[in-house]
Amino acid sequence: MKVLFTLAWRNLWRNKRRTLITVSSVLFAVMLASALLSFAGGYQGQLVETMVRQETGYLQIQDVQYMDEPSLDHTFEYGEGIKEALRPFEEEIKYTVPRIQGFSLAAKEMSTKPAMVSGIDPESEEKLRGFNKNLVEGAMFSPEDNFAVIGQGLAELLGISLEDTLVLIGQGFQAMTATGKFKVGGILEFSLPEQNNTMVFLPLKEAQWYFAAENRLTNLIIMPEDEEEFERLARDIREKLDDEWVTARTWKELMPDMVGLMQMQSTVYRVIAWVFYIIVGFGIFGTILTMLYERMREFGILLSLGMKRLQLALVGLIETIIIGIMGVIAGVVGAFPILYFLYHNPIRLSGDMADYMLDMGMEPVMPFSISPDIFLYQAVSIFLITLFIGLFAMHIIFKINILEAARN
Amino acid sequence: MKTVIKTNNLSKVYSDAAVPVQALKDVNLEFKEGEFTAIVGPSGSGKTTFLNVIGGLDKPTEGHVIIDDVDIATMKESQLFDFRLKHIGFVFQAYNLIPVLTAKENVSFIMLLQKAPKKEMEKRAKEMLEQVGLDDKLDVRPGKLSGGQQQRVAVARALASKPDFVLADEPTANLDTESAFNLLDIMARLNREENITLIFSTHDQRVIDRARRVITLVDGAVDKDEQFDRD
Repeated sequence: MKVLFTLAWRNLWRNKRRTLITVSSVLFAVMLASALLSFAGGYQGQLVETMVRQETGYLQIQDVQYMDEPSLDHTFEYGEGIKEALRPFEEEIKYTVPRIQGFSLAAKEMSTKPAMVSGIDPESEEKLRGFNKNLVEGAMFSPEDNFAVIGQGLAELLGISLEDTLVLIGQGFQAMTATGKFKVGGILEFSLPEQNNTMVFLPLKEAQWYFAAENRLTNLIIMPEDEEEFERLARDIREKLDDEWVTARTWKELMPDMVGLMQMQSTVYRVIAWVFYIIVGFGIFGTILTMLYERMREFGILLSLGMKRLQLALVGLIETIIIGIMGVIAGVVGAFPILYFLYHNPIRLSGDMADYMLDMGMEPVMPFSISPDIFLYQAVSIFLITLFIGLFAMHIIFKINILEAARN
Repeated sequence: MKTVIKTNNLSKVYSDAAVPVQALKDVNLEFKEGEFTAIVGPSGSGKTTFLNVIGGLDKPTEGHVIIDDVDIATMKESQLFDFRLKHIGFVFQAYNLIPVLTAKENVSFIMLLQKAPKKEMEKRAKEMLEQVGLDDKLDVRPGKLSGGQQQRVAVARALASKPDFVLADEPTANLDTESAFNLLDIMARLNREENITLIFSTHDQRVIDRARRVITLVDGAVDKDEQFDRD
């Protein structure tokens, strides 16, 4: 085998310029595809991070019917049963965020607007969302307080100010009428209009009282220590729960539309990457074909001398794969420092694009990822292409007519 | 003396041409161990076809080629690769060394394919290059050698694995007179010293004058088979 490698390696350098040009084409394709996939990975990571922070957490415990019918009738009791089920996972759970939420009508004097009333634990919610920075007036409540903090848009729609009284009316647990009056103690500004115009936050206990759902939650968000492990953790927790009533769902299960959108985006990015690979593949193919046909006589001689077709074909395969490997290594070595820099110093956006991202609750930057998967994907893709070309080269060698080749 | 090659009623017809061409016609020959034979004849007389068929590179249309008690005409391609590797050495008109290997590596190449032990292989390669007067060119690649030197490396390569016989297709055709004589001296000496059977196809009178047996082919058939005492 060593002699086959030696032959392949030396053959590659018979025409240095041609080999270097071919390797360079792989290098540039890998660099471009790496940049593209790194941006796609970074953007999707940022999107997930935003949605997880603002909406769902990585996973959450819910009543089994809550996802299909998100009403207060599908709350669950946050009692000893759930706590006992979570106890084995204490080391894997960074923190939990309890919530009870439901739609109500919010009113002030003659104005009434629909509102999403969310009972929260301010400390854990702050860890998740960090929304104290969104506070434009007043203060966030503590768990023992009994005032409300509302979205700035809702405050404007209702014409309500700090220290005014907000009236809430809606339906509570098991068709109980939910009514309550709360002083407005703080106003938050949200970038997403639907949050800004509807959110009413109450301390968890006040919200449970308002909804007549004492000790009940609609969601218990779980933030894992290792965010990569959220799917496994959800599976493990699910096994410990009474699956007749409650279940653990991941953000992927809770936001299937977003997962679909991300998959579609990934597919588009990968198709573009494959366009690069295919262009490069034709370059490698051309080089290998030229290398094969200009050595036909030599192949004929080697076969005449007693070299087996398989041995000769392996030389062709090894030559192709070496070109691919050199190109991938050079491409990754070239791309990684640039992407590493961009990962730590993402490009700041400005103008309409920045406004749009801020509205989405995202930082206005072009984020990049340096996930090993990106580089592994390049390696596997180029390897598959070179393997295919190498197999074609082997096919040509297997079909050589020894006498014709030797006379070439 | 032991018979190395025997052909019985050997015929070869190339039927893929517009008009079928009879390249060999009923050739019955025997080659003994240690013979130095020149196959001569005008262009198109079947010399190269004869070497290709007895070298297992081409199949006869009819007849048998018996080497080492085996009829190679009936062998499969995969068996022929092994057979050639073990029994036959080749020297080609255009040297045909592997350009990316050094002289020593070229000479070792057949032994490497035969999976010979490394030490033995290196020793034999050096010894053969010494025999052909190129012991100072061990690590030189063919591109840096003259035509005559390349052909000497090719001879060393053909003989290094101690084949039963060596087939040389017009080995001196591309060489100047001095190089050709030099090569022939070397081949004649190796033929004597190593008792290797040498079969040349040639037009070259310099080769014919050295051969102890000259077979003349005309239109694919044996026209003359003459023995000469060159010693």
